[in-house]
Amino acid sequence: MLNGFKNPGRVALIGGQSEIGLSIVTQLPEDKSREIILIGRSGNYVLDVTDKAARERVIGELFDAGDVDLVVIAVGLLGNDSKLSTTENLLAAIDVNFLSTVHLLELISDRMKLQAHGTILVISSFAQVRPRDDNFRYGSTKAGLDFYARGLASTLKGSGVTLKILRPGFVKSKMTEGMEIAPFAITVQECGKYGVAALKSRDLVTWAPSILKYVAFIFKSLPPSVFRKISHR
Amino acid sequence: MLITDPILVSGWGRNFSSLSKRASVTSIEQAQELLAQTDNGRGLLPVGLHRSYGDSALNSGGTLVDLSVLNGIVVDPLARTATVGAGTTIRELESAALAHSLFPPIVPGTGFVTMGGAIAADIHGKSHHKTGSFSQCVNWMKVLLSSGEIVQLFPSDEEFWATVGGLGLTGVILELELNLREVRSNSADVNEVRVKDLSQMIELLGRSDADYEHTVAWIDLSGDYRGRGVVSLGNYGSEPVKVRGGGSTGPSLPSIGGANFITPLTVKAFNEIWFRKPLKRGTVALNKYMHPLDGVNNWNRIYGDAGFLQYQFVIDEGREEIFERLFAGLRSLKAASFLGVLKKFGAASSAPLSFPRPGWTLTLDYPTAVPGLEKFLQGFDEELVAAGGRIYLIKDSRVSHSLVPLMYPEINKWRAIRSTMDPAGLWQSDQARRLRLC
Repeated sequence: MLNGFKNPGRVALIGGQSEIGLSIVTQLPEDKSREIILIGRSGNYVLDVTDKAARERVIGELFDAGDVDLVVIAVGLLGNDSKLSTTENLLAAIDVNFLSTVHLLELISDRMKLQAHGTILVISSFAQVRPRDDNFRYGSTKAGLDFYARGLASTLKGSGVTLKILRPGFVKSKMTEGMEIAPFAITVQECGKYGVAALKSRDLVTWAPSILKYVAFIFKSLPPSVFRKISHR
Repeated sequence: MLITDPILVSGWGRNFSSLSKRASVTSIEQAQELLAQTDNGRGLLPVGLHRSYGDSALNSGGTLVDLSVLNGIVVDPLARTATVGAGTTIRELESAALAHSLFPPIVPGTGFVTMGGAIAADIHGKSHHKTGSFSQCVNWMKVLLSSGEIVQLFPSDEEFWATVGGLGLTGVILELELNLREVRSNSADVNEVRVKDLSQMIELLGRSDADYEHTVAWIDLSGDYRGRGVVSLGNYGSEPVKVRGGGSTGPSLPSIGGANFITPLTVKAFNEIWFRKPLKRGTVALNKYMHPLDGVNNWNRIYGDAGFLQYQFVIDEGREEIFERLFAGLRSLKAASFLGVLKKFGAASSAPLSFPRPGWTLTLDYPTAVPGLEKFLQGFDEELVAAGGRIYLIKDSRVSHSLVPLMYPEINKWRAIRSTMDPAGLWQSDQARRLRLC
């Protein structure tokens, strides 16, 4: 349950190894009694997120053990595994970023609706703003997720359950190691702070960093020819 | 029976709210019917007037059982007892009893508490040093169990004591009989004394307990935090007084928007005035004396949308040094309390989860928006436990669940009795979930 300061007591992080996810849950206002449950390749619950039956089982067990106040979903693939072909990478990213995450959101929101309280934070991406030649495959998986999450958030109104979307830009993490650092890049720590702020925000979407909200607006407004030139820096 | 769609409900602190259905039952039979209808796993919680500050009377996703219709009062002037329904309020009981020159021996600072709530929190008042907590005047109570069975519990039953202070988690209190005391009039003889610091306050309160039926002190926790204040000493009076407005409550606080008006500056100004106000000496109306909190309706709105929390703890006599550490910490946070109350408790009841026990109890109100307050109180809780103290659960919305068994060492005994009374786990509350009580 939330405490009287509206801070969560039982928190689950799906993608228990995610640097951004960990950064968010560890930067919540300090509370020694808080239980942080890590779910992923290792942790309190072992979960292969691409396994449908496992998703159902783990979310069931998680909520059967007690109310969950906050779930942070921080699973994601960039789809840049050099051992796989472009298409295989895309399919894997669709599976993790879209199909599995959407299913998790369905399962979690259903359980939270029963308890009539709880917050879900899902990590989308700046990449879903507009397709760019170098990352439209990844971007499309996040665009699908983002679209779904906005729809779900709307249907949750009045249920006691809240869904928030974090849209980070380039985050300097293990996941992006070796990649060319994009403008407005932030550290994992900074991204975590934005995640915590998203939980308290009245807005559905929080950009990390905030300026990306305006960059996204500009990106969307540019004529295709200009956008193409810019995105091919 | 009316069952609403899920509605937002908050405790008296208004610091958070939860979504639950509300079933208004008009008879005991309907309450029994309700048991059979509850199947979504979120359970039922009997509630009264939502004067508990935090989440004791919240049950998100579940159903609140409103028993306000069960408000009958039958006073037996010869036996000096009253048989009352669980929804009867302290105010209603006082009026009915006064008509027979009787009065409930234990009443809290507000009259807006139901009988069910009074037992579920084992409430106390200014008379605790003489009378103990509310359960001490209860002869029996009828409780609806989750099985649908209605049992009559007596102080010789362990289920009686599990229900006392049991936060509504053992069953629905339906009816009870309590002892009343004789009074000569509807007044109290009051003597207020100004004290310049905490040590004077402690000395005067301790010294006055033998001579006064009611003792309590308002403590100024702002400015220099030395604990100056006004000690109020009272006995039942003999001169009747005319009660203006037939004993109705005071004005309501108008809606002031979402802003919090309790800041260090306003509190300091208010406390300065309160400290300097003319002292009451003489005869005052009993209900006004007993229920100073009822002077302004909805006073809880003054803290704005973010709400507030009340922190009440008890500490053994001889451990008063903890007050100094608390005051120093609050001073460094610039956390000024609008309502600070100090009282010396008498004997404890036999209930495992009853709060009062011999020692000093201090009550403080704070807006939740005070920066650093959450962390500070977490640290202070640990000091309190180390010093053998505990907090009052009916006021709580933020203590760590891991400290509860240290504060209430008999909680496992309570859990064992509770589980025999409610094997299905039907009675649930947000506080029980947060503190892992059951």
